[in-house]
Amino acid sequence: MYGRGIYALRDVSLVVEKGEFVFLTGPSGAGKSTLLRLLLRQELATEGSVKVAGRDLAKLTPSQAQSYRRAVGFVFQDFKLIPSKTVLDNVGIVPRVLGATSVQQQRRTFQVLKWLGLQHRMNAYPLELSGGEQQRVAIARALVNEPALILADEPTGNLDPDLSLEIMNLFRDINSRGTTVLVATHNRELMRHVGRRSITLDHGHLVEAQ
Amino acid sequence: MTAHWFTYSLQEALASLGRQRVSVMLSVLTIGAALLVLGGFLLVTVNLDRAVSTWSEAAEFSVYLNDDITPEQRVALNTLLGGHPAVASREYVSKADAGVRFKRDFPDLAAGLADMPQNPLPASIEVRLNPARADGATLEAFARRLTGTEGVADVRFDRRWLERLGQIASGVRWAGWILGAVLLIASVLTVATVVRLSLHARRDEVDIMQLMGAPIGLLRGPLVVEGILQGGAGALVALVALYVGYVLVRGRVLAVLGPAFDAASFGFLPAGLSALVVLVGMAVGCAGGYLAARHVR
Repeated sequence: MYGRGIYALRDVSLVVEKGEFVFLTGPSGAGKSTLLRLLLRQELATEGSVKVAGRDLAKLTPSQAQSYRRAVGFVFQDFKLIPSKTVLDNVGIVPRVLGATSVQQQRRTFQVLKWLGLQHRMNAYPLELSGGEQQRVAIARALVNEPALILADEPTGNLDPDLSLEIMNLFRDINSRGTTVLVATHNRELMRHVGRRSITLDHGHLVEAQ
Repeated sequence: MTAHWFTYSLQEALASLGRQRVSVMLSVLTIGAALLVLGGFLLVTVNLDRAVSTWSEAAEFSVYLNDDITPEQRVALNTLLGGHPAVASREYVSKADAGVRFKRDFPDLAAGLADMPQNPLPASIEVRLNPARADGATLEAFARRLTGTEGVADVRFDRRWLERLGQIASGVRWAGWILGAVLLIASVLTVATVVRLSLHARRDEVDIMQLMGAPIGLLRGPLVVEGILQGGAGALVALVALYVGYVLVRGRVLAVLGPAFDAASFGFLPAGLSALVVLVGMAVGCAGGYLAARHVR
């Protein structure tokens, strides 16, 4: 709940199973991003609880919250890449920050870049990349730490239909490897193409869970 | 983790310093100016302390004699001096010897002395003291007793003005501490502002690192290390400027103080104090960096 009694989400009760691929959909302002922020523990629920793998996110200590976030990958509509770093450094920052050795960093970063077809763009800077390439770099960054959960907030919002399809296929591949994927989107065409469970929100309420 | 923290923080801090050269240079110069003032006061007081110490070891009474002192009075005075345990040695300086010394020490004024109808300088007995054999109060009492002895015109006791010089050195030192402290506080705030600019430039990166679960120490580390590097660089700038100033001023100081000052005892800050200046600079930078880093939560 935000100030003055305005609820961003209310009476939302849902379960996502481990290894599932779920779409969060609904119009702008429905609460999709808020739900993802709660799952990323960027915000804490003022009422009710958000549990991941049985743990109430509101009750995590700061160091437990850090550990939790290391098991979550995130992808945003605006990519959120660091413009002053190359593709290699943008992706490699994750293992680097988390204390991997230099050899481990390079190996893991190269593996994920190769899987996403970006190995030939390793030394490019984000602004030298197309929108689709930038989003794939963001996905590579989300994947490099082999997270159990991927959260994606409108990951195709800035991409044309062909690139959007390509990115969704990537998420499907990621999911097929056992990673739980939660994608917020209002692109019903893409949802139909991927054909997975969807949860529809509207004005902060859960209106449909297929 | 500590080695990883240090390596990561150092690399990121160096990269950040390279990105905003102009503001970092201003910050380094601000710290340098503050530490230059502090170091300048330190240099002056260190040399004053050295001078006071050197002169204290060579402290002596100069007992000036009346021109009409009688042989009996002189014998009595010698007996008095010879019997005191603090007197290490004594030397009689005649009026003629005093004239020779004056001409040697003050050649510019020698002509004026030669023009006088008779030598105005008094004869004296220079008494070398053994400070280990008497405390200041005993020597003061002895000086008063000598002053009242018949045939004695005046007694000059070096320790009195050395004490005054010591008080002046102490005053200069305190003034330096106070002024330095004010300037260092200003430096801390300058560093904090520059590091906050750096944080602002890296805001997206820090946000992303927070989302990926980076430890808070790793987020704040580069900012604190950046401050430390700025402070250390400022201190080195201050030391170089101080040394250049010292070299330029040294010759002039020795020319003015001349025979009263032993050139060997006039020196630059000792290694320990120079290291302290660098440490203070780094501490100032660390404080500024930490102030900025507190904004990362």
